[in-house]
Amino acid sequence: MAVSDSMTGKKVVPDIAASDIVETVPSALLVLDRDLHITSANRAFYQTFRTSAHETEGSHIYELGNRQWDIPSLRTLLESVIPHRATVEGFEVEHDFPTIGRRTMLVNARKIFQPGDHDGFILLAIEDVSEERAARAESKRNWLLTKSIVDTIRDPLVVLEHDMTIVAASKAFLTIFGTTEAEAHGRRVFELGQHQWDVPALRDLMKRVLPENKSFENFEIEDDFPGLGRRVFNLNARKISQPGNHTSRMLLVFEDITDRKQRERDALGLTNEISHRIKNNLQIVVGLIAFEAKRTAAPCVLGYKAMQARISAIAELYDLISHTSHGRTIAVDAYLREIAKSMSASLLDEASGIAIEVKGEALDIDPDRAVPFGLLVNELATNAIKHAFPDGKGRIVLCVERIGDEIELTVSDDGVGMKKASVSPRITERRGADYVAIFVRQLGGTILAPESAGPGTTIRIRLPLLLVLPAGSEPVAA
Amino acid sequence: MAVVLVVEDDTFICELTEMTVQDWGHQTLAASDVEEALEILRSPQHIDILFTDIYLKTAVSGGFQLARQAILLRPQLRVLYTTGNFITEDMRARFLDDAQCIRKPYTPRQLQTSFEHMLAAHS
Repeated sequence: MAVSDSMTGKKVVPDIAASDIVETVPSALLVLDRDLHITSANRAFYQTFRTSAHETEGSHIYELGNRQWDIPSLRTLLESVIPHRATVEGFEVEHDFPTIGRRTMLVNARKIFQPGDHDGFILLAIEDVSEERAARAESKRNWLLTKSIVDTIRDPLVVLEHDMTIVAASKAFLTIFGTTEAEAHGRRVFELGQHQWDVPALRDLMKRVLPENKSFENFEIEDDFPGLGRRVFNLNARKISQPGNHTSRMLLVFEDITDRKQRERDALGLTNEISHRIKNNLQIVVGLIAFEAKRTAAPCVLGYKAMQARISAIAELYDLISHTSHGRTIAVDAYLREIAKSMSASLLDEASGIAIEVKGEALDIDPDRAVPFGLLVNELATNAIKHAFPDGKGRIVLCVERIGDEIELTVSDDGVGMKKASVSPRITERRGADYVAIFVRQLGGTILAPESAGPGTTIRIRLPLLLVLPAGSEPVAA
Repeated sequence: MAVVLVVEDDTFICELTEMTVQDWGHQTLAASDVEEALEILRSPQHIDILFTDIYLKTAVSGGFQLARQAILLRPQLRVLYTTGNFITEDMRARFLDDAQCIRKPYTPRQLQTSFEHMLAAHS
């Protein structure tokens, strides 16, 4: 080590003996003469091979200990390689040593000449790399194990570098996409096949997986694949990194959802066909009512119109149910929003001063109660639209919230209030109120006594909360 | 008075619709599938409105297919779709520009309002 003297500016070379350096080197070192007798060894040598200077120095290397260095490969090195070459690096010796067991040693050798000494010495550095080699073998075994696990996964998958080139591809990937490891390795995933994966939206998602650690799932691609025909794949990607390793790679899995997709399409086709038939039948009923209404005396026409409106509401509710269902249950909040949207579209024009708002807690009801629930909301909101706002302006709020083990449905308006609006209700209005009572009974609920606070009308109804039981059992009301 | 081509695979609904439309003073023509409708559209017959169901028995999206071809034959034609199915965003994307849609079951009043809007928009 050279340091600078601050007074003179000259470099000062500390007096470090070669023996000090030799003693601090972690590799085992031996110095041999031309006859391969050991002239010296360092501490690391004695520690590694569990021996001493007394047992070592002056001995012939092959005679050391119980002739543990009389190894054919070391003999080759010392007797054939060294005489012809000045240095040897990384000569690997694997041997069962009596004292320390099976070891892998990396031997470096160099000839050292001193002035006037033509024969010179041999400096032998012996590094025990057994653990490193064992770790490498373990890593290789792990890789093979991982690969064999990966190869049993039916979904094709690839491991990608930052530049989207393939580092590894599973057996399923190679089989399904008719390629070989050699063809796939190093290629960018977007260049595979007929560039089916070269989709801008997919590129964008994939670009963000590694830098932002942003996984993605269910990116759907439908295309014609050579040898496979029309297929639908769901792509899932995530970042993978090894503990202690700074590099990361992307795992891209291709899930073939063609059959599932087909089943969904079949089910949708069937639903559409059934819906088409039901609605055609309802259309016939509505048409027939319209014809009857034409031949009926004026006072009865309103009744026919109300009948048409309720049939339309039922038809509408079936659609809404099919689009707000969570499998076995219906999301009430989403259902209410759809009802509000559909009532606004059918009963209020764009210039209307009446607004329908929804305040919904995330609650579920069973499909059996969805239609009466929808008809109940329809009836209450229609009454409000018809009677609460003589000047055509106001707000109706549909609200559902959970109170204990009940659902409270509130339909409120800021209109003129019930007493002022209908002192002597007409037949259809009374019937409307009857329907409300019937729907509430059907739902197993109760109508709460009206509160006089505030303007307008507020109708509060309590319904039993649905208890959603695990799949396989029947849902019951609380 | 306008001429309306009603395309409907259910005979009863088709005839009920025709009677209703005729009551408003319009003239009607009827077809039950895409081919039959296209035959009428290719004829010299004057037509103002094409009123078609989207789901036409043999063709799930027959109404869309028909409207696309009809507008090529008669660019001035007004198109009103009807369907018993829930109108999804995908369906909406397939509507022709300026076309309207009325959901089944529709009342005669709703149908008349749709016709009036369409005829007024083009007059």
